Amino acid sequence: MKTITRIWKVNGEEKTVKVPPMRRLLDVLREDLGLKGAKEGCGEGECGTCTVLINGAPMVSCLIPAGQVRDGTEIMTVEGLEKTEGGRLLQEVYADKGSAQCGFCIPGMILSSYALLSRNPNPDEAAIREAHAGNLCRCTGYQKIVEAVQAAARKWPGNK
Amino acid sequence: MTVAENSRKGLVGRGVSRVDASDKVRGLARYADDLDVPGCWHGVIVRSPVSRGTLRSVKLDPACDASKAVVVTAQDIPGPNIVVMHDRAMPLLAFDEIRYIGEPLAVVAAPTRRQAIEVAEHVRIEIDELPAILTTAELVRKFKAGELKTGVEQNAPRGVGGFAGGAPESPDVLCSQSIVKGDVEKGFAEADQIVEAEYTAGHQEQLYIEPQGLVAIPQKDGGILIEGSMQCPYYIQHELHEALNLPAGKLRVRQAAVGGAFGGKEEFPSMLAGYCALPAMKAKKPVKIVYDRHQDILYTTKRHPVWVRHKTGVKKDGTITALKVDFLLDGGAYLTLSDVVMYRGILHAAMGYRCDHVFVNGIVGRTNTFPSGAFRGFGAPQAIWGVESHVDALARACGMTPHEFRLKNCLRVGDTTPTGMVLRDSVGSPAVLEEALKTSRFADKFAKCSRGRKGARKWYGIGLSFFAHGSGFTGDGESKIGTKVALDLGFENASPVVFIRVSSTEMGQGALTVLSQMAADGLGVDLDRVRYPLPDTGLVPNSGPTVASRTTMVVGSTVYSAACKLRQRLEESAGRPIAGSKSFEQIASKYLAEHGPLRVVEAFKLPDTVRWDQATFRGDAYPAFAWGCNVAEVEVDTRTLEIKVKKVTACFDVGRVINPVLVKGQVEGGLTQALGYAVMEKIGIKGGRFDANRMQTYVIPTALDVPEYDITFVEYPYEFAAPGAKGVGEMPMDGLAPAIANAIEAATGIRMTDLPITPEKLFKEVTTKCAKDAK
Repeated sequence: MKTITRIWKVNGEEKTVKVPPMRRLLDVLREDLGLKGAKEGCGEGECGTCTVLINGAPMVSCLIPAGQVRDGTEIMTVEGLEKTEGGRLLQEVYADKGSAQCGFCIPGMILSSYALLSRNPNPDEAAIREAHAGNLCRCTGYQKIVEAVQAAARKWPGNK
Repeated sequence: MTVAENSRKGLVGRGVSRVDASDKVRGLARYADDLDVPGCWHGVIVRSPVSRGTLRSVKLDPACDASKAVVVTAQDIPGPNIVVMHDRAMPLLAFDEIRYIGEPLAVVAAPTRRQAIEVAEHVRIEIDELPAILTTAELVRKFKAGELKTGVEQNAPRGVGGFAGGAPESPDVLCSQSIVKGDVEKGFAEADQIVEAEYTAGHQEQLYIEPQGLVAIPQKDGGILIEGSMQCPYYIQHELHEALNLPAGKLRVRQAAVGGAFGGKEEFPSMLAGYCALPAMKAKKPVKIVYDRHQDILYTTKRHPVWVRHKTGVKKDGTITALKVDFLLDGGAYLTLSDVVMYRGILHAAMGYRCDHVFVNGIVGRTNTFPSGAFRGFGAPQAIWGVESHVDALARACGMTPHEFRLKNCLRVGDTTPTGMVLRDSVGSPAVLEEALKTSRFADKFAKCSRGRKGARKWYGIGLSFFAHGSGFTGDGESKIGTKVALDLGFENASPVVFIRVSSTEMGQGALTVLSQMAADGLGVDLDRVRYPLPDTGLVPNSGPTVASRTTMVVGSTVYSAACKLRQRLEESAGRPIAGSKSFEQIASKYLAEHGPLRVVEAFKLPDTVRWDQATFRGDAYPAFAWGCNVAEVEVDTRTLEIKVKKVTACFDVGRVINPVLVKGQVEGGLTQALGYAVMEKIGIKGGRFDANRMQTYVIPTALDVPEYDITFVEYPYEFAAPGAKGVGEMPMDGLAPAIANAIEAATGIRMTDLPITPEKLFKEVTTKCAKDAK
């Protein structure tokens, strides 16, 4: 099968992948790069568990062919969170607030939180809910997610 | 000793962070699909395309090159072709009569999923199709026509059909059971009026975010290791070892991280484990099956559809004189564990209120659809949907408000339940009702409801529900199962720690954390001295399945008691008390050096005062009841009829709260699932098949759909199992749907009796009402 070569910056590190162009980014991350944090919950862009940040924007990696991701693209997965101050803060408040229950949606959810706060460090509750509406969670009822993002916003780098 | 004195370390009652949070927020938790199994093959299931028929043959097309694959059919099953369940009637792979669309006929496994699919496409099936029953409505029609014969005679208790007793008369009946208290006809004779109504609800999908997934790995000793997503490791062993012709111990089962379950991973993984194990044994390779979302929605168990009919006698002053309930569940094609779902249903169908004359008739009917199964609440939400909708109708019939009627009739200490259980201890009624009414300012708001007022842009309504939920197994289940737990004291990196050995699984509900808290509290040490590895039947005793809101109450209290014993042993050996982690470390290290590892085993015992007669369905139906009250406030857009649930106020008595942060999270999640059941989640049967197969068509609540929650707890600790927790997991699923329906009636003046309540259904009712009003 024809493959293409792509060089991306994944979680701050340069990674070269040789993959069929239509291979899903989710599979490349999980299988070729061993980043099993991103999960498949539906495979059709509805549940948001496979959310990763592409140049800072949350996207569902199950719907993105690897060939569409250009050289030099910055990709952030849940594994990359702890390399950032905001990411570490989010991990801490998610743990404190009991925001992760079964945890399956969390890799996507917490990246949506990171993307929101990076863009808007002072979101109101409606903005928080809107920013996480693409991440389905069946355990929490979302209240503890909202509380975690509010708590993170209070301490977000630059907001202190 | 009081509970407070019992609490050594103050860990019980504290909202500590989850012990599994760190792995989960860093993406390190390993779920079924994340397991690295070298040389693993992939399994694909070949399914029946018809709802009912006789299977003539299942054969691989000879033209297909299957040299790199294995194909297993019923002929390859080494032992009896059954998944044990409750009646030993369901085959692992169909071989004669096919009973539902999607019933597994064969499994193909190959080194890649693509190869397995290619071979599976060449499996040829010959079936003679037979007539089928496809809908709950058809069962109801038969019931009303007297064609669902159960042998239940008015006021005469009888044995259980299906698994426990004589066979039911009608082939469309999987099992039946009645509850009899007093003489319901006498009760009707005493009534001033009789109120009758029917309530229905369809299937509900658990929709855990992690799809089902398991891997079967052949072992050197000829056994099989099953690993992956599940609630009940010992269930898989029990259900399957006969079919695989393995001694129970050689079917070892290990849990991976579980991405939500809600009952959906209670009994179904026993079937999936079989589909993995059969080709694994034949190919002598590990075989993995991870469902995609389409398969997971189409081919796994759902909540039982229900039809419930209430006939109630009331006096003018609001006294209830007779409660008669017909409770019909659609069990799908096989019994599996539907008998116990129905038992929980009938035990909650007339619960909550004082009445001397009660008759509840429970039936599980059979349709040619996917077997219905466990889902949070296990029959109780269906029952409470009926009774709590009906109580509003009773209140109106007596000219009372819904809250006055409930306060007048609700069960209190000293009252008797429908099975004759006298409520003595740990009764959070009427406390939860009073608290929720007060917090929500129900009386004021109820007076201001729109009731379909003309000319309004939006209609406002408030409604409530009040209910109990039996904690732990139904009837004598907890006595039968004999919960065992073990605590192992050993070294970890030269430091003494205590390992909790139980079969209870973490699936998001927080078992790892609350059981660790209880163990640490009993030991008098910090949380970091306790380890709770995910269960593995090779290492842990059977502490029962992780179901029925039983884990914290039953397994947790047994862990707590084992921890107290372990502490005592260490203190006796040292001749001084453990005072915190430091002294534990000294005492335990010395003990381990002198005596080696220490194991304490403990079993759960019900107090002798708990009595249950399964044959007559009389006695203490549960070790204890938890209590709840839900208040829903809704707004209905008069132009679009969109129903917006704005606020939910809820009060629960779950006994002693072990972790206030986790319990609140679990309740918020449960209420959200109940919100979906009430107004969003819709899946029907079309041509024998579920009519939704993806998240676009089966819609669950998002962060934008949930109301404001105001949740409080009143604590009436369970006296017989320190530190006093009762069940909580299922209860938030129980009462929100009727509270919302009651609120919708207060808003619109229309009583909705079928779940989910969608704008389309409401439109139909509004149109009918308008036409009637115009006449």
